[in-house]
Amino acid sequence: MSTKTKTVERNGTSKSSEDTSLWSKAFTSNSDWPDKEEFLDVVYWMRQFIGIFIGILWGLIPLKGFLGLSLFMLINAAIVYFYCVNFQNINEEEYGGTWELTKEGFMTSFAGFLVTWVIIYSGLYHE
Amino acid sequence: MWADTLLIVFISICTALLGEGLTWLLVYRTEKYQKLKTEVEKQKVEKQSKRLEKRKETHGDSFYKQHKKKIEREEERLKINNRDLSLVKMKSMFAIGFAFTALLSMFNNIFDGRVVAKLPFLPITWIHGISHRNLPGDDYTDCSFIFLYILCTMSIRQNIQKLLGFAPSRAASKQGNSIFGSNPGQFK
Repeated sequence: MSTKTKTVERNGTSKSSEDTSLWSKAFTSNSDWPDKEEFLDVVYWMRQFIGIFIGILWGLIPLKGFLGLSLFMLINAAIVYFYCVNFQNINEEEYGGTWELTKEGFMTSFAGFLVTWVIIYSGLYHE
Repeated sequence: MWADTLLIVFISICTALLGEGLTWLLVYRTEKYQKLKTEVEKQKVEKQSKRLEKRKETHGDSFYKQHKKKIEREEERLKINNRDLSLVKMKSMFAIGFAFTALLSMFNNIFDGRVVAKLPFLPITWIHGISHRNLPGDDYTDCSFIFLYILCTMSIRQNIQKLLGFAPSRAASKQGNSIFGSNPGQFK
């Protein structure tokens, strides 16, 4: 029953009070996540920031070619995996296995990474 | 190149916002959509809690069958609701799709034959058609407008949907999977 009310609340408008605690929960090790959607949202947004950050970094270095792409995928998957399994110690099976977690928001983050990488790279090195 | 690339990012932010605004106007705010959406969410949550209950209990065969039937009935209802939901969405999505195709061809004309960015990698062959569209020369690291625009839209649109709370919930999108290929161990 408790899960039911929580989810209904989340889909409603009363989000603001949860937001502050969500930040601290996301950065605290072994937090309790009664609402799975909340945790998946944290993973999703984390992915977006990682994507943009790595995109800027690769553009500035500049890292080129297949190495840049594969390094991004490796780092992105590794960070999320370690965050879920080692930092938050969640049970992957509850979320449909490691694969579900690894692919959460991956395409969006990949697109964000490519956009920032291409923009910074071509802006700085090709006038 | 800064000007072109940033302009494209700006264009895709605007079109994403416009698209979401139009969808809100035509779909999200309608009573029918909201009613269906809350119903689908409610059913999904009920289904989940029932599944949890089932796992906790140990019981005989007859109880198992009875329970299974009930769940199947509810799933059928959920399936119908989900279909209605996509139908409501589809009509206006078509209208918006047409509008955006027109808009896209306009931008395509503006940026025709212009190298808007330089790719830091060599795209695989079957992407050349998009990444090197209408560009002169054989340097495949040249990037056309359409490629950058697609990438921008991919990342920006979904993030905007999520920020505004319009993104389809995972419960609803997952439902699609469980209809066609039911989760193993679902009724264990």
